[in-house]
Amino acid sequence: MLRGTTDRVENAHYEIVFVAVPSPIEPGKHFALDIAVCPRGGALPPGTLRVDAVMPEHRHGMNYRPVVVARGGGRYRADGLMFHMPGRWDLHFDLVTSAGTERLAAARHVE
Amino acid sequence: MTRRRTILAAFAACVAGVAAHAQPLPDPAFSEREVRQILAHGPWPPRRQHDASNRVSGRAAAIAFGARLFADPRLSRTGAIACATCHQPGRAYTDGLPRAQGLAPTDRNTIGLANLRLQRWFGWDGASDSLWAQSLRPVIDPREMGSDFVQVAAVVRADADLRRRYRAAFGAPPAAADEAVAIAVAKALAAYQETLVTGRTPFDNFRDALARGDVAAVARYPAAARRGLAIFVGKGRCNVCHLGPNFTNGEFHDTGIPFFAGPGRVDPGRHEGIRRMQASRHNLLGPFNDDPARSTATATRYVAQEHRNFGEFRVPSLRNVARTAPYMHNGSLATLREVVRHYSEIDEDRLHADGERILRPLHLSAAEIDDVVAFLDSLTD
Repeated sequence: MLRGTTDRVENAHYEIVFVAVPSPIEPGKHFALDIAVCPRGGALPPGTLRVDAVMPEHRHGMNYRPVVVARGGGRYRADGLMFHMPGRWDLHFDLVTSAGTERLAAARHVE
Repeated sequence: MTRRRTILAAFAACVAGVAAHAQPLPDPAFSEREVRQILAHGPWPPRRQHDASNRVSGRAAAIAFGARLFADPRLSRTGAIACATCHQPGRAYTDGLPRAQGLAPTDRNTIGLANLRLQRWFGWDGASDSLWAQSLRPVIDPREMGSDFVQVAAVVRADADLRRRYRAAFGAPPAAADEAVAIAVAKALAAYQETLVTGRTPFDNFRDALARGDVAAVARYPAAARRGLAIFVGKGRCNVCHLGPNFTNGEFHDTGIPFFAGPGRVDPGRHEGIRRMQASRHNLLGPFNDDPARSTATATRYVAQEHRNFGEFRVPSLRNVARTAPYMHNGSLATLREVVRHYSEIDEDRLHADGERILRPLHLSAAEIDDVVAFLDSLTD
């Protein structure tokens, strides 16, 4: 179970629930994500989860490369994220399976 | 209800209900979002926090030792240059020169020393991830003080007063290893520099008045500074990078300032800064970090070097910016008016082709430039 205020993103194959630590996310401050991935309808569990974020309006990503650690049972921890500017950021969750990579994206606005 | 509904109007209406002499509305009015952004530039001063990576951070004996070392030219190879030679207390810890002049000319402007505990990276390129590592860098840089671990340790060991101060700060006499003594000197220098905190400013008074709804106090903030602030958080969007109480996100950007340092030479800025920091055994992942948990090493651990970092330089704080001319990493802009004009008329062709797209020409009028400068002046204590 993830503690704190959770966010959710989903498609036909996966549901991802995540919470920022600390929360809320502040611009210019590092944060981590606690993440739970739930396959749907017989989808393969991801062998690897990659997390990244971009700021589409400014055409740049983060200055830091997060590291994701699997904690078992579909849970993950991503450390080292930072939104270094206020505005809209798109979080990317790349789920890598033997069938390929599937991306789920969640837009977040930080002030 | 218009988007630019005025919080100040609400304050004024509230006060008018209880006081017949309510002040007229300040101009310009700010939207709710802009008010939130303005409030995010405070409160000031920040709460003091010691640096876990430096075991003498905040200790009075170390601060006094660091102050003594800061003015001591014997730390340089020639015995003629102290930290205070370039970081002059009477000049907001800068030197007034476009580019610093140590034992040889350098390529970069001397950065003022203030509010350093709020920084994540140090130097224009962020080649140091702690204040103590940054404090060592100019001491051993051949172009600046040109010293080395052997000389620094010898100076401390040979001087009775410095030995006494060292023992008082670190609880032991100077170590046998020269590098360890030099690192300790750097940590005392850092302890001293942490105490250099700028005072409250007219902007801080305005910001706090806005927070508590004090219309009369809000109105005392000069109109030109208010108009400049409106540009800063409005169409200028300056606060995208110059955010928070220290007016910086602490990161690095390409601002269209040429990075040619001289004939045949370029200043790679952040790109090289990351490489040097990662290669240094004095970084926060190395053996000299006094925090076993490495709790302050998050940025060091996860920073990523990208091609776009070439020619990026650190976003400086704007507190006391009126006292730190000339400006930009190479000191190429003499006045704040030139800086505002640079951003207002920025040449997008000079920005990285594969870089971020944040800066846009604003084409501010002369009066608007004056207003932004008035706002920047109001950040002076």
